[in-house]
Amino acid sequence: MKITVTGASGLLGSSVARALVSAGHSVTTLQRRPSGVENARDVLGTVADPASVAEAVNGAEAIVHLAAKVSLTGDPREFEAVNVGGTRTLVYGAQTAGVSRLVHISSPSVAHTGASIIGDGAGPASTERARGEYARTKAAGELIALGADSDAFRVLVLRPHLMWGPGDAQLTERIIERARTGRMPVLGAGTALVDTLFVDNAVEAIVAALDAVDTVHGESLVVTNGQPRPIGELMSRIAIAGGAGEPRLRIPVRAALTAGSVVEKVWDLGEHDDEPPLTRFLAEQLSTAHWFDQRRTQEVLQWRPRVSIEDGLEILRAHCSG
Amino acid sequence: MRFPARPATIPPTLPEWDPAWSRIIDAETSDGTHSFHVLDTLAALRAEGCEPSGTILALHGNPTWSYLWRHLARATVEAAAPGSDGTPSTRVWRVIAPDQLDMGFSERLGHESLPKPHGPEVRRISQRIDDFDSVVRTLLAETDGSHPVVTIGHDWGGVLSLGWAARNTDLVSASISLNTAVHQPDDAPIPAPLRATLAGPMLPTATVLTDWFLRVTLRLGDLDPEIRDAFRAPYATPSHRHGVGGFVADIPVDDRHPSHPELQRIGADIAALDHPALLVWGPKDPVFLERYLRDLRQRLPQADIHRFEQGSHLVSEDFDVSGVVIDWLAAQFPPEHPPQALPTAPSAADARPTAGDARPITAILDARRDDDGIASVDFSHTPPQQISWRRLWHVTTSIAHGLTELGVRPGDRVSMLVPPGNNLTAALYACLKIGAVAVVADAGLGPRGMTRATTSADPQWIIGELPGLGLARAFNWPGRRISVTPLGAVQRRLFAVETSLTELARTEHRGQLPAVEPDADAAILFTSGSTGPAKGVRYTHSDISALAAVLTRAFHVGEGTGLVAGFPPFALLGPAIGASSVTPDMSVTRPKTLTATAIADAVIAGRATMVFASPAAYRNVADTASALTAEQRAACARVELVLSAGAPVPLDLMDSIAEVFPAASIHSPYGMTEGLLLTDIDRDEVDRATGSTTTVAGEARPNLGVCVGRPIDGVELALAEIDDTGTPSQTLLRGPQARGRLGELVVSAAHIKAGYDRLWHTTAQSARDDLDGRQWHRTNDIGHIDDDGRVWLEGRLQHVVTTPRGPVGPGALEALIDEDPQVSRSAVVGIGPRGTQALVAVLDAEGTDLSPGLAPLNLSARLRAQVAQRDGHDLSAVLVAPSFPTDIRHNSKIDRSRLAVWADHVLAGGSVRRRV
Repeated sequence: MKITVTGASGLLGSSVARALVSAGHSVTTLQRRPSGVENARDVLGTVADPASVAEAVNGAEAIVHLAAKVSLTGDPREFEAVNVGGTRTLVYGAQTAGVSRLVHISSPSVAHTGASIIGDGAGPASTERARGEYARTKAAGELIALGADSDAFRVLVLRPHLMWGPGDAQLTERIIERARTGRMPVLGAGTALVDTLFVDNAVEAIVAALDAVDTVHGESLVVTNGQPRPIGELMSRIAIAGGAGEPRLRIPVRAALTAGSVVEKVWDLGEHDDEPPLTRFLAEQLSTAHWFDQRRTQEVLQWRPRVSIEDGLEILRAHCSG
Repeated sequence: MRFPARPATIPPTLPEWDPAWSRIIDAETSDGTHSFHVLDTLAALRAEGCEPSGTILALHGNPTWSYLWRHLARATVEAAAPGSDGTPSTRVWRVIAPDQLDMGFSERLGHESLPKPHGPEVRRISQRIDDFDSVVRTLLAETDGSHPVVTIGHDWGGVLSLGWAARNTDLVSASISLNTAVHQPDDAPIPAPLRATLAGPMLPTATVLTDWFLRVTLRLGDLDPEIRDAFRAPYATPSHRHGVGGFVADIPVDDRHPSHPELQRIGADIAALDHPALLVWGPKDPVFLERYLRDLRQRLPQADIHRFEQGSHLVSEDFDVSGVVIDWLAAQFPPEHPPQALPTAPSAADARPTAGDARPITAILDARRDDDGIASVDFSHTPPQQISWRRLWHVTTSIAHGLTELGVRPGDRVSMLVPPGNNLTAALYACLKIGAVAVVADAGLGPRGMTRATTSADPQWIIGELPGLGLARAFNWPGRRISVTPLGAVQRRLFAVETSLTELARTEHRGQLPAVEPDADAAILFTSGSTGPAKGVRYTHSDISALAAVLTRAFHVGEGTGLVAGFPPFALLGPAIGASSVTPDMSVTRPKTLTATAIADAVIAGRATMVFASPAAYRNVADTASALTAEQRAACARVELVLSAGAPVPLDLMDSIAEVFPAASIHSPYGMTEGLLLTDIDRDEVDRATGSTTTVAGEARPNLGVCVGRPIDGVELALAEIDDTGTPSQTLLRGPQARGRLGELVVSAAHIKAGYDRLWHTTAQSARDDLDGRQWHRTNDIGHIDDDGRVWLEGRLQHVVTTPRGPVGPGALEALIDEDPQVSRSAVVGIGPRGTQALVAVLDAEGTDLSPGLAPLNLSARLRAQVAQRDGHDLSAVLVAPSFPTDIRHNSKIDRSRLAVWADHVLAGGSVRRRV
């Protein structure tokens, strides 16, 4: 099958592209920088540019749309341009080119209101309820994708939750780095039960979605390992797997929620890139329960997470120790 | 003050109310045509394509309206919806519930003044019954009249509907009432809340001019604000509330009241009703007190009763009364096309096997009336009190005559507040001889639990020692009082004691004692109440005969055996099985007070070859064994059988017991209040079971949980498999089919309960199976049966964890987790929605060096790996709780539900609470 993957310079995008290539598909990628995926055709550009999109989706039978501005802070216009405008451009381009399948990668935060999530299903995306620019624009993007769903253009939305694993710079490497330098905040008692997703399982779920979209479409599915863990325990285990000691620092939840800027400093000590400081949003993410009902996801995708959290930690340990 | 007349209206949009139910009809009454608002489900049923095959006539009280019956309306319409084959699975019940005049949305009559008890402005009971008659006859004429008609009422609607039913027995087939009162007993004061309202000048202010009465009544249930508002909707202003005051003004507070004669007539008419009846009761009602239920029971002795122990006046707002009503109706009026599983009426289900070797409970005692051998030794006396069979027969017969002369009748209930020993044995067998029913609410329930249990059983008599009588007085228990030994004049008056067992034992034997039927009730025992209020369990004479027979048969204990009875229920069976029984020196409520010396002395005194106690008692016996003398050791070495009941016995304790009783075989039977002896396991079998496997889908899986052995001879065992939602199947499995599956254990035997006391629905649910035409009991215990037919317990039904991989019995994983050296004990609970729960292990901090919160990383990793490897399940979290809540009686049943609430809070990101 001819498949276009957008955002293939990131960990998940490049891994999906690689997996599709090795499964014998003909893969085109679309992103600013070269994807580094062997045997894939790179189109360099952005999803917000109709010409790049047209070039990338020409002749494709399916699209995996991963390109997004992923950050917890930043210029609202940038979020809007990539996550909303980019998705609209891509959907229009795909329909124009006669592509019949779209697997749109979204985020559970599009339906997140700040309350605990305890074994819930995906829930509808809402731009009013989503918190922060990232979640709001991802919600708008998801609604655009789902709004385009039809029998001729089948759309399935996946929302991976807190992905981690070797090579993940967003969460995994930060946790390890902070634990190593003794700057790891564990919020509250660290007992909030949280779902996560090991990177290999995320890749396989997306590949499975390319088959599933033929029968089930117009639906959003949260994807996790289906193994909720107390956040404090999981962060500690990731830190240990990465060669750091067990983290000790504790910050009361209320302090984190009311003094976001202070916490941002704690989280962000010494960091000067544009990546996530601990905003109020993240504080909530890490101090309230966030785990999901995976029965529908596994039924639709005909997929099970192959790598358990324990096996994933072992893989991470092997990766970090060289 | 003038109250303008206005016709009936249709209610506005209200929560849980279907506008399709509302209709307005005109009916001819004693003072002309009036318009009524009526809840009528006929239109809703016909919209579903159903035609009624039964009608429920429902009448509300004051100050509610037909809104009270919305749950019943919805439930009956939903139940009528056709099944897959197009025919309704149950009878189609139409609900007709009029709003009374001046009430709800029915017509407001014109009034010239505020209501007064003797005033002309009050619509009287007799008129209200006529109003009801007129409305329902008009509506009944709309359908084919050949089907059953049933009445239901609440509050004053209860009396009115029962009165109407009693006068229309040609039309009515059955009657139901919720909390109501037929009769104001002359010697009892009117309940305080009503007294306040009825105090003359206060009446209009409390009921009409303000909404005080409305507000107070609507607080007698846990109502959401919008539901409360819906109840208040028709009573917004004083001009809408004349009826509320009028109703109160028509309560006949004394015999000069205008409605008094009519209420007396209604009461007499109701007593003549002999069709099926059901009373559903919320005992926390401050107005309709227990004594009104007692009065109704006497008028309607055929009535089935279901008490919602936590229910108050508005019992149908807080509990599923509709479900009880629908199941009861299904049992009374089977549908034309019977569904597969029909709730059976408890009375109709006497298909239990009979034990061929059973004899009347008092047969052996009667046969040995001239025997000077030892019947009973009681070590609670100093020196130990020993009585012969001759003496025991004589004393029990004298007390039986004395009780009869005092006025105790067959079927009267007698609460026994006497610890095990000779006095209890004498009181119990005297009662059994005359068909009086022993109510045994043990101290293990705690004062509040005992009060609730005794109040629900409602004994006519109490036989007690001082602490018990003090409790009875302090908590105002019902029943005339009898002490054990004679009390001084002051105490006699203080505790309202009429006589004593000592005095009764001097009664001459005059005339014949009444004959006792085998089906008559013999005893009410109480469950431990670890999963809700303690339930009374009814045993008939034949049930107890069968229990004695099974004890004799299974353990070869009978005439001539000496039995040391340190376990309460069995301490009472000695005279029934002909064994010499010895009550050792111990406190019944604290089994740990049984020492090795005490048990050895009891063995010597009774020349006992058999010992019966609880694991906690044996633990202490083993711990104090070093104090035994050579003679005591020799006596213990002659014991042939050691029975341990009440909780499972770990192998190490069995070995410790074996050191004290080297010649004995050690057995641990499993049972419950509803079936005291169900399975049995001995030490060797425990050994064999350890590490065994069961084949599941061709694969050998380790047996996990607590092994309780195989069914005792005479006990049939079946399994109701548990599905992904944690619900046990309606279909029972037996034999090889039942093996290797998680299910609820279901048993049948001659000696299981006759039913739960005054819990019609609970009884029907627990006895709903009819496999082989037998009566079964759903134990609420879950577990599996292994390849060798052994039963493994895995917890209680309500504690099943429903993970996405299927249901999990917590006891199985707990057994695995408890093997870890860092764990003292554990509880496995589920967090999150049914069917997708996260599996969580909670460890007890007590007795360990663990601190509350998340378990240490290495421990959680180890336990998680154990569970994944042995059982395949994913343990989401391992928490340490500051303490474990357990039941009072056994101090061993862990309250997993409370731990689940605690764990749920912690894992939602809340604080680690110090109290569970």
